[in-house]
Amino acid sequence: MHSQWRILFLLLASIANAARLTVSIPASPPLLANPATLPSSTHAVLIGPAGVHYDVPIRKDSTFAFGDLAEASYLLTIYSRDYFFPSLRVDVGAAADGSQHQTIQAWQTFRGNEWNNKGPAYGQGRDELKVQVQPTSKKDFYQSRGGFDILGFLKNPMILMGLVSVVFIFGLPKLMDMLDPEMKAEIEEMQRGKRAAPAELQSERDRATSEAVNAVQNFDIASWLAGRSSGGGGSK
Amino acid sequence: MWLHSLQVIFAAACFVRLSAAVFADEAWNVDYHYALLGEPKEETTFFHQPNPSSKASLIYSLSEQGVLGAINPRDGSVVWRQPLLRDDTAQNASFLRAGEDRDVVVSGLGRQVAAWNAADGRLEWDLIVDGDLADVEILALDEGTPTTGAKDVIALSGGEHAAVRRIDGATGAVKWRHPLDGPDVPYQVSASATELYAIALHKTMLGYYKLKVISLDPVTGRKTDEHMLSSESELTTTDTIVSVGANSASPIIAWTDSAASVLKLNVLGTSGVSSFNIDKHGEGAVRRVRMHAPRHSNALAHFLVHYESDTAHWAEVFHIDVRNGKVEKAYSLPKAAGRGAFSTSVIDANVYFTRVTQTEVVTVASASHGILSRWSLQGARVADNSNSTPEPIHAVSEVSFKDNAVSAVRTALYTSTGDWILLRNGSPAWTRPEILATTIAATFAAPAEAEALVKQLQAEAHSNPVQAYSHRLQRHIADLKLLPAILSSLPQRIIDAFFGNSAEGGIGHDGFGFHQIIACATKSGRVVAFDAASPTKILWNRQVADLQPGQSWQPSLYSPRGGVIVVRSRADIGVEYSATDGELLASTLPVAEREVPSSKAMQYTIRSGGLEATLGERSAWHFVPANGETVISLVPRPINDPVASIGKVLGDRRVLYKYLDPNLALLVTGRNASRTASFYVLNTVSGAVIHSSMHTGVDLDAPISSMMSENWFAYSFTAEASDDSPKGHQLVVGELFESLVPNDRGLLSAKANYSSLESGAEPFSLVHTYQIPERISKMAVTRTRQGITSRQLLAVLPDSNALVGIPYGVLDPRRPVHRDPTKDEQMEGLVKYTPVLDFDPKWYLNHQREVVGIKDVETSPALIESTSLVFAYGLDIFGTRLSPSFSFDILGKDFNKFQMLATVAALAVATFVVAPLVMRKQVDQRWKLL
Repeated sequence: MHSQWRILFLLLASIANAARLTVSIPASPPLLANPATLPSSTHAVLIGPAGVHYDVPIRKDSTFAFGDLAEASYLLTIYSRDYFFPSLRVDVGAAADGSQHQTIQAWQTFRGNEWNNKGPAYGQGRDELKVQVQPTSKKDFYQSRGGFDILGFLKNPMILMGLVSVVFIFGLPKLMDMLDPEMKAEIEEMQRGKRAAPAELQSERDRATSEAVNAVQNFDIASWLAGRSSGGGGSK
Repeated sequence: MWLHSLQVIFAAACFVRLSAAVFADEAWNVDYHYALLGEPKEETTFFHQPNPSSKASLIYSLSEQGVLGAINPRDGSVVWRQPLLRDDTAQNASFLRAGEDRDVVVSGLGRQVAAWNAADGRLEWDLIVDGDLADVEILALDEGTPTTGAKDVIALSGGEHAAVRRIDGATGAVKWRHPLDGPDVPYQVSASATELYAIALHKTMLGYYKLKVISLDPVTGRKTDEHMLSSESELTTTDTIVSVGANSASPIIAWTDSAASVLKLNVLGTSGVSSFNIDKHGEGAVRRVRMHAPRHSNALAHFLVHYESDTAHWAEVFHIDVRNGKVEKAYSLPKAAGRGAFSTSVIDANVYFTRVTQTEVVTVASASHGILSRWSLQGARVADNSNSTPEPIHAVSEVSFKDNAVSAVRTALYTSTGDWILLRNGSPAWTRPEILATTIAATFAAPAEAEALVKQLQAEAHSNPVQAYSHRLQRHIADLKLLPAILSSLPQRIIDAFFGNSAEGGIGHDGFGFHQIIACATKSGRVVAFDAASPTKILWNRQVADLQPGQSWQPSLYSPRGGVIVVRSRADIGVEYSATDGELLASTLPVAEREVPSSKAMQYTIRSGGLEATLGERSAWHFVPANGETVISLVPRPINDPVASIGKVLGDRRVLYKYLDPNLALLVTGRNASRTASFYVLNTVSGAVIHSSMHTGVDLDAPISSMMSENWFAYSFTAEASDDSPKGHQLVVGELFESLVPNDRGLLSAKANYSSLESGAEPFSLVHTYQIPERISKMAVTRTRQGITSRQLLAVLPDSNALVGIPYGVLDPRRPVHRDPTKDEQMEGLVKYTPVLDFDPKWYLNHQREVVGIKDVETSPALIESTSLVFAYGLDIFGTRLSPSFSFDILGKDFNKFQMLATVAALAVATFVVAPLVMRKQVDQRWKLL
């Protein structure tokens, strides 16, 4: 009976001494609207000095509970299948007033930085600390392929130009046919006038320009590639 | 020069899309995953309804491997899993209990009692006790008022402070604790509706055990009674204690004498012991006696005793008269050949026993021996071509009733082949190869068909032209026989190819080398093989090692040539099996081919903290780590590690020569007192240290993984914090070069020959350290046929339950530090060094899957250069195909056949439409010219 009480006392004493840390994941819309959807494999790991390694699974109320933490400086990481969480630095130390109690503090920490470089504080407590940690981002596992997109294809200016010219080639004669005969005759008259007119009206310069335009329009790519100038056949 | 420029272009092309990733359309198709629990234990496996208001039940099991999980009985998928044992080296007793109509399951393992939500597997509470658990029970106490919350848990712990505890089922707080003083060993607890019994083993002077029953008041935990059961000189070991019933109307304890001739029973709370003679049933002694009793306090007090001899099994059903505690035999079930499994189901208060023999599934009620349902066992032969039939080991059943008749029986049966099969009315609904969770060695083997073709081609190449021609003609004529089959399957193949289904046929038709056979050697001495490209079907499963209980083996598997797998245990020659069907090829290798421990092979042993290399009998060299460090691991370069180029082509087309030596190994040593770890690159022939580095503040309890390939190495460790250095996990990558001056081979340039022993040339090494987000427990590297494809470092992340493939370009030690890369470096794909390396989720080969407990990763080249096959084992089995430089030699899923056809069709239409126009224009032009 005596021994029983002693063990009980020891147990109570150790509970009183031990710092407890509770990390909870609050609902944080829009990223994680309902933390209850986190899979049960979600767990939190506290890494202390060499050999000290606590690993606790997620509880029903989306918290992680660490009990009985010895005095040390810990790195807290939460691992989940679908989300990234920030890592925290958790310090457990003796209380300043020399009592039996312990202080426990938490800050954000940044990987690759010296351990002293602490981020925003998450909280501070006497023997017990409750902190809330929100996910930073969702894991995106899949690379999508640059697939074929018909709309993107049609937005291409080259394609648009081609389509417009197709419309002109096929659509314009049809449009002409649809006009009434009088109007058609008028337009034809106008065009004939235009074609006939230049002979008299054009200046020297204009004629030169139209010749150049003609040359461009009648450009014979085959003969050019064969090394003949369009001008009259002398090869170099 | 031409080659160099080609390589530059190639390298640039690779690095432009640096993030080799998992594509959404490949994700669930090219990879495969068996989410396993491990071998289910009979006592910790049951059907239970996670939601008391609904009838749907799940199968819960806590396996030998210490994994707790819930399985959906409909399709065999895992609903949730919790690995309770992070390392399965320690064999602890484990317990799993579920209260009637409660939504929690309570597990006990080691020193931890934990309650888990039955529906989603989240922790409700946990409690660490000060001694290894001997038993965990749920208190089915009828406390008058209907309690809505969880039922309380009784935990019995052993050790120095052996005690019985009552734990609040809702919070996990200890309600009372009753210490068990004295030398007696706590054995089990048992609860009836009103009483609580703790059974301890009392060792007498003569070495026999006596059973001590301690009655406790469930409310206060006070001892109300204590008595010894008269088991005079009967119990020599605890093995002959058959069972201690729990949570029944009248819990019983049963044991036999060591010859298994008499069964003794005691109803707990009484002092009388009933004896029953065990009928021998012909020849063969009774090997094992088991008891199957309902675990419900309101069920009828009936139970079944299951006898097993070497060749047969039978059973007897007993009834307990609750009023006077008398036990009497009701009826017996006839003998059946082979082994059998019995399971108990309770509906309302009625008890039903389901018996699975090798041929049928039979259900009887406990009250009478009339058969309620009988189904013959169909198709439960797991591996048809293995000549041994799987035997039932144990089973759990769920019986459904409709109109007073059995309408369906679902039985989760564990067989001797290590398969967990759900029998729905005698026909298998699904099979889980749980034996693969105990894989300790694995290898890839090319199928024999591919090998046969290679042999024929070789025969043709080595004979004279006329013979070769006739051989070839004969081969093609023989191939013609296959034509009808190919023609008939052609339409289907074309359709499959168009609709994106995999057009990969059987093992025989495999041009890409994806159909490799993976053989896994398990802890229990079996070898299981399946096809890497169609892993849902187990090819064969056979016992290769005859292990006694408690005996272990250290198998190594390898494939010397296609179609053959050699299994060898430590210090054995090895036995050859056919990779395709598991047939034994030769029991021992022919003497001429026997591998004599040759005087030319080096052997490495760890001796007195150091590493010693011996050549034949003589000691070649001895490596003693500094400052009393001990060897942690030695990782050599893989034997088959092809290197495509001896140099690295820089952006300006000059070359950095790699330091390539086939005899490199990475040795890791550590010292716990100073928390230092040293890493040495050794030449394993000469023993020379080629590169070394030491890290301080290393957590030696955390995994230190290392890897060596080609001319580079990688290792990772967990570093401790100091004020001015970061805490966390680090990954170090180093690369060895002959010289750091381009186009210069340093000392080696003048030499025509190279010897490990005489060379004084030491490499120049470049090392980068990266801060990584989590620990890496194991590393491997992708392997391709020629080694042209860039490599990926495969890292097992135990905390994320993932396997990542890190592209080498990200790790490259030549990444420029403190400056932006020059144009030439950009050409190479080098980016500025950043100390923090995040694992992009797109690198997760397992993507959304959770791959738990991976211990090792095997890689194998496919026949095409771009692809490497990856296979990871441990608890789960995971495999995939990787193309680190993308699939440049195969039309992947990104090749859209419809799009291609549509383009061709559009062009054809355009041609037909435009042709008359062009014709008219040409004619017009002729007329104009004339």
